[in-house]
This record gives sequence, C-alpha cells and structure tokens, in this order.
Amino acid sequence: MPKHISRILAILAAGLAIALVAKWYFTTGSFYEFGHYRGDSVAEIAAKQPVLQTSGYCKSCHSERHLQWSAANHKSVQCEVCHGAGEGHPQKGKLPIPSDTRKLCSLCHERMPGRPAAQPQIVLAEHGAEQQCIVCHNPHAPKITGVVAKVSGDAAAGAKKHAAACAACHGANAISANDAWPNLAGQHAAYLVRILGAFKSGAQTDVMMSSVAKDLSDPEIQNLAAYYAGLTCNAAAAEKAAGDAAAGKLLAKNCAACHGEAGAAPNPAWPNLAGQKGVYLANALKAFRAGLRKDPMMAGVARGLSDADIVNLAAYYAAQSCGKKP
Amino acid sequence: MKREAISALRARRGFLRKIGGAGAAVAVGTAGLMHKVAAKSEPAAAQKSFPTPDYDWTKHRWAFGVDATKCIGCLRCVEACKRENNVPLDAHHFNTWIERYVYLEGEDKARIDSQQDPVNIAASGSEGQYRFANRYQDAKVEKAFFVPKLCNQCEHPPCVQVCPVGATYKAKDGVVLIDAEYCIGCRYCVQACPYGARWFNEEKGVTQKCYWCYHRITKGLQPACVEVCPVGARVFGDRDDRDSPISLFIRNNRVQVLKPETGNAPNVFYVGIDKEVL
Repeated sequence: MPKHISRILAILAAGLAIALVAKWYFTTGSFYEFGHYRGDSVAEIAAKQPVLQTSGYCKSCHSERHLQWSAANHKSVQCEVCHGAGEGHPQKGKLPIPSDTRKLCSLCHERMPGRPAAQPQIVLAEHGAEQQCIVCHNPHAPKITGVVAKVSGDAAAGAKKHAAACAACHGANAISANDAWPNLAGQHAAYLVRILGAFKSGAQTDVMMSSVAKDLSDPEIQNLAAYYAGLTCNAAAAEKAAGDAAAGKLLAKNCAACHGEAGAAPNPAWPNLAGQKGVYLANALKAFRAGLRKDPMMAGVARGLSDADIVNLAAYYAAQSCGKKP
Repeated sequence: MKREAISALRARRGFLRKIGGAGAAVAVGTAGLMHKVAAKSEPAAAQKSFPTPDYDWTKHRWAFGVDATKCIGCLRCVEACKRENNVPLDAHHFNTWIERYVYLEGEDKARIDSQQDPVNIAASGSEGQYRFANRYQDAKVEKAFFVPKLCNQCEHPPCVQVCPVGATYKAKDGVVLIDAEYCIGCRYCVQACPYGARWFNEEKGVTQKCYWCYHRITKGLQPACVEVCPVGARVFGDRDDRDSPISLFIRNNRVQVLKPETGNAPNVFYVGIDKEVL
C-alpha cells in the first residue's frame, strides 16, 4: 500500500479511536438506549417518593374524621391542603392544626373578582366580626345546617294545650311574666319543635321543662309550636336590664350570622332573640358555657364569653324590638 | 497535455475509490462497536416493564386539562407543588403558577398578575406563602378570571431540541423530563420555552420545570396539584383510556392550547380562557 494512503488510514483510525474513547468517557451506558438521553434517568426520576400522601393515607388512622369529612361538602379539600404534606407523619411528628383559620379559610372563601359564582364567598370585614372561622364552622363539615324541623300543627289545638299546660309560667299570651322564663310568642316554630323534642327525649334537660315535655305527644308539640309561632310578640318594654346594651351590641356581631343582626334569626331552626327576657338569655348562655345545655355551636361560641359579656349581650337582645323580620 | 490530464483524473478516481472502501470498512466496524456499547445497558431494557416494574411507559399517553372557569385562585396547587417537588420557597421559582386576568370597566387591556406580584406577596405575609391580594375588590371589574399555568409537555418540545447534551427529552408516555445529572446548566432550554415554564435552580446548577409529578403518576397517583385542587379545575389522565378524566374533558369541552401557532402542539388543554392568555 502506498505510503500516503496508509498514513491517511492511520489518521482515520486514530480519529475513530479518539471518538470512541470520548463517547465511552462522556456518555454512560444507558445513553441512546431509547434516544438521545440517558435511559436510566427515567427510572431515577420515577423512583422519587411522593411527599403528599393523599387523604386515603390519613384514613388508616383518622377514620372517624375521614368519615365526617368525606360525607360533607369540604370533601373536595384534601387533608393535606390544610394540614400540610403527610410525608414522615406520624413517625416524624404531628401535622399542624391551623391556628389562624380566618387567614386559611379566606384563601378560598374571600369574596374576590374572578372567583366563580358557585364558590361560597364572604366579605371578610362583614362576616363573623374578628372571630376565627372554627368558632361557628366545623372545618371538616363546614356547612351550618340548622335542621329545620317540619311543622304541621294545628294552632287552635295548640292554644288549648297552652292554656292548660304552659300559660302558668309562659304567660297567657305566651309573654312570660317572670324574667327568667322565655317569651314564646312569635318564636320560630321549627326551633320550638326541636327544643321541645329535645326536652322530651332527654337530650336537653331542665328542672321544669323536662317533666312538662315528657307528657307531651308529638302532635301536641306540633300544635304548640304552630300556635306560638303565630302569636304577635310585642311584649311590654322590658324593664331596664343589668348589662350595658351598647357593649352587647358590639359582641352581638359575632352572633348575627345565625341570630340576625337585631336578634331576628333568618333560619327557622335557630331561635329569635330580640325582645327575649334578659335573665333567661343570660342563664341560657351560662348554661351553654358550662355545658349544662348542649349544643355544639353554642358551646363554641359561649366558651369565650365572660360573665360581663353575657350580661351585656342579654341586655342588648332584651332591648330589641321583636316584631322585626330578618 | 491532454493525456496527462486524463491520467491525473484516473489516479484521483482510484484514490477516491480506495478511500470509499476504507470508509465503508470503518463504518461497519463502528456499527459493530456501537452495537456492543448499546448492549452494555441491556438490564434496563430487559426488565419486563420500564421505567418501574409496575409501570410501562409505552402504555400511557398523558395529558392535562385546565378548566379556568372553575379556578378560584386559592393557590393550593402552587403550595402543594412546591412541597412535593422541593422547589425553593421564594417568589421566583415555580413549576406551576396562577395568573389573574382582570378587565376593568373602560379598559381594553387585561391587568395581569400572579402570586409573585409584590402586592400579592405582601398579602400572603411571606414569599413562602401564596395568596392573591383582594386588590380589585373596590374597582369596577368587568370581567376577571384565574388561569393555572404549567409545563405543556409539548409534542414537539423546543426545549428538547436545543439541549446540547441530551439532558432533557420526551419520555415515551409524553412527559418531557430533565436528567439533572446530565444538565450542564447552560439554560438554552429556559430561553427556548415559549411558555416560560422552565426555571434555573441556582443552588443545584440545573434547570427544573413541571414534569407532571412523574414520580407520582408512575405510581398510579395524581400529580400533586391535581390532587389538592379543591374545585376540580385541574384534570389529569391518560388519553389512551377513553374514559379517563382527561379524555372526557377533551371530548366534552371546546378545548384550546396556548400558542398553537408555534407548532409545539402542547398537551395541556384549556377551557374558559381569553385570547389574551398566552
């Protein structure tokens, strides 16, 4: 072979050798396995462990909470949205329970241009005063549903029963003579059915009412409720109450969502408070606070009230005119 | 003179023939060697399914749907994505983000902001938390909506095309992945992406982006943002499965993609966005 040819071949061979060494040196084994990339990297990326564990993971221990949550209208909000990523829990410790729910809940529920109308939204400044959301709302089942009892009573029959069994304490016109007993005239019928039913079943107890309600039949309860709801509630102006009604008005903002701004409840499941007897209201709040009267919502609300707050609130509601519609 | 010229031509032809022969020989030899090199990594290809024993990437064709009419701008997807993928908790690095488009009365152009706007950072309290400030609550808003954004995992990804080292590529199931080990941090891909989906991790010296939580979807989970979205504004699934959420989403809605004129053929399908959304 002529010298100049063999030289060229030698140069070519050397170039090839360098190229192969360079490829061997600069690329790993799996490069070009599937294309112009390192094939092993796919498996490496896929091997990473998830940080968010999904709500199914939480269920294995917190089944009761999970059951409540998954049945309610927050079921689309996964556990880890509020409580943080579940990776390492429970081994590495507890997950946070959000403390500033006003900030957390408003991420989704603050009224804001651009949010679809279907999204429940509130104007923060006008809702629940400065209270934390969880005072009234259970974050796992947030919708406040006063269970509205069905009322189909006969008011005339109720009037007879009232005269026979109730008028002695609650007054002939269902305006109570004693400041410690509630007026019933103009009260929501659904609320009365619920509370009388509770006294009857023993779910709620009261020295007087328990024994009275025990003897009432279900139709009688219906009749009474229909009768009271139909009465006019314009009572004589309440005597000057002990508390400071102006201070009570400020506090009452926290109650307005359920009981109405001036004590006229928009939902028939919840009682009207306007014009109610002050001592009765104060006693009721104290009973909720002490757990003697049982209601999950009121227990949370009353927990934070001082004796002075209670008296002021009672004074405010007692001074309101009860005829107003919400 | 003429004879000399012809003989010179003949000699040249002979030389070229020999060179050609040598070239062919070298090519055959190289091919043989290449084959040997490829054979080195047989174990991965030999396993029953790839990339994991429970997941075969040839059997899926992932796609993503965004329903902007449902998005409430709560930014829980951004939060979840940051935690899931260890994205730096500041206002400059995001795999996914949300844009807010607000048209005020009498204005032709939308006002656009995202969670990294200083006003929104101030409302959230820190760069590590995400929230839209209620800055238009008192304005006369004609129209407003939120648009979640993420990597489009294009059918013809320009980012892959420009990578000089083969560190980013399109997996067989359609997801564009980044090999952090191979990335040299040149950021060509960041420039190439017309959607601004890629960002540079200064700490690690590599480019990162949304990869549809590849580590989750290969385990049968949803991407983190889809998992946490409380209103179902994000939809994910396999287009090869006719009844998957994404197949239904695409079939039952008039969907559109971002910047179709680029020819990238994105795989994120949008519902309910204006032409201003790019």
